[in-house]
Amino acid sequence: MLKEADEKIGTQPNRSIGVGELWAGGLRKVGLATQHLQSDQHLPSDGCQAPRSLAPRPCNRLVARLEAVGNLSRDDREAIHAICRDAQAVPVHRSIIRAGEKPEHVHIVVEGWTARAETLADGTRQISAFLIPGDFCNLHAAILGEVDHDLIALTDAKVAFVPHEVMDDLARERPALRDALRWVNSVDEAVLRAWLSSIGRRDAYGRIAHLFCELHARMTLIGLVEHGCFDLPITQEMLADAQGLTPVHVNRTLQALRGDGLIELAERRLTILDMVGLQNAAGFDPTYLYLGMRARR
Amino acid sequence: MIDHFLAKLRVRDEISPEEEEAIRGMLDPPVEIPADKTIIPAGVELNVSTLLLDGLLCRYKDLRDGSRQISELHVPGDFADLHSFTLKYLDHSVMALTKCRIATVRHDRLKAVIEAHPHLGRMFWFMTNLDAAIHREWVLSLGRRSAISRVAHLFCETRVRLEISGLADRRGYEFGITQADLAECLGLTPVHVNRVLKELREDGLVAFRGGRVHIHDLAGLERIAEFYPAYLYLDKRPR
Amino acid sequence: MTLYRFNLYNGIGFVADEEGRELPDVAAARDEALKAVRGIIADEVLQGRLDLNGRIEVMDGEGPPVITLAFAEAVEIA
Repeated sequence: MLKEADEKIGTQPNRSIGVGELWAGGLRKVGLATQHLQSDQHLPSDGCQAPRSLAPRPCNRLVARLEAVGNLSRDDREAIHAICRDAQAVPVHRSIIRAGEKPEHVHIVVEGWTARAETLADGTRQISAFLIPGDFCNLHAAILGEVDHDLIALTDAKVAFVPHEVMDDLARERPALRDALRWVNSVDEAVLRAWLSSIGRRDAYGRIAHLFCELHARMTLIGLVEHGCFDLPITQEMLADAQGLTPVHVNRTLQALRGDGLIELAERRLTILDMVGLQNAAGFDPTYLYLGMRARR
Repeated sequence: MIDHFLAKLRVRDEISPEEEEAIRGMLDPPVEIPADKTIIPAGVELNVSTLLLDGLLCRYKDLRDGSRQISELHVPGDFADLHSFTLKYLDHSVMALTKCRIATVRHDRLKAVIEAHPHLGRMFWFMTNLDAAIHREWVLSLGRRSAISRVAHLFCETRVRLEISGLADRRGYEFGITQADLAECLGLTPVHVNRVLKELREDGLVAFRGGRVHIHDLAGLERIAEFYPAYLYLDKRPR
Repeated sequence: MTLYRFNLYNGIGFVADEEGRELPDVAAARDEALKAVRGIIADEVLQGRLDLNGRIEVMDGEGPPVITLAFAEAVEIA
């Protein structure tokens, strides 16, 4: 590990080394652990392998996510870190892109949370995706041109702005990476279908329970869960907008979930106390997250 | 056979004669499918993708409590599952809502076409992202639109998608969907859908009768739906 | 903009609004309260229960509520 880190000094003089490489290795193990989840197996409640105090490399979460599905070479991983290197700070509530714009960049969440959202004429908002570290906000914009949604920061965030040409070059020169990118793009779409089912067919209790199960799985994949507990740095209003509810209703629902002993939520940290119970309440089937699957081709 | 698919592509970009040939060459012979048949079950490993030639398909998920959510309708010229090329199995099932004609493409042939024609590869990727954009709009509909607005929006969206293939115009289109299917698209019950349809009829906007959507006031319908077709990406440009 | 908190009293007891929402005025706050009550009632009705005994108290500070909205007031009962 350390020898690899030493070799890096020549290529990237500004990069911190040693601890960074160990961190990347630890996250790879997280990816492997989640590959063995079956759809009827409940998620481990002690899912986080990587201690939070280690200084992360710029794009660890994205690397972890892509490595879980593709055979990336060391160069592929370095290429990912390189594109995240100049992540910009984005303050909470900032609209990074507005619907109808043609962004010149592909955006990647490095730290914090962002969301895709649309707003109706009467001002009501619907969030169609929560984007957590390692998520692409608008990979599709590279091919679609415009975006049909807003992209907003739900927390103070760090976002990498990657020019389209750079993404195109990466996809052209690195087939394993290209396949992994197509993969995460498709899983993104599958998550939309799951949200649609939730909003269309579940009551408020089921919707929030399902969302929490999903977030737990996604956060576990990128190494941000400790003992069933992870940061939920968003407001009830954001939860409401994501699930077609009002903030008051979300508040009430959270109280009910607490009262039933399924979750603890304090100071923006969510703890799942009863994973099986929460999954049952949600009717949660993680198949749509394609955990443990490898990208084809 | 591939006219509707080509029309769908050509709304968004030029398709060369060579690309057209490549598409023709990759398809298996068409197959007739009866109504209500699930042609692709969720969770099954796939090595073909399915192109809809005629009829109406849908993607759906059955929830544990037995309820069903339809996540998209497919009109002629749509691939129901190009994303199965990337993912091994689908997180949803695909069903024929009406009698359909489909043609499959084996993934090894699809791969060869994409490698020989990178532009087609980009167009196929475009199509899967178009599906995602439609999903996003449906999330908005079910999350934030009133029942009447949801029904109106679905009628407007389907009209535009069928119009690309010449299967709809301002006055309406054939739509072989039941109220129960509509309910499963829109997070409503069939009775509620029926009630909304009555309201839309009495307001002079649209009548849905005998498997046909009769549009009386398209502008009014689009207004109540708050329908803006930008998310369908109907502009033509090099991709 | 004022921070309004929407405290809910109903079937499952008291639910305090720890977060609040920034809204331009009391009229906007009333709109919010109406939407919230209707969404809750709708959700419960879909499960076969209609409980009109609740209320929302909207606070803009420590004093008495600026709005008290009874569930029954939020709907037209025909």
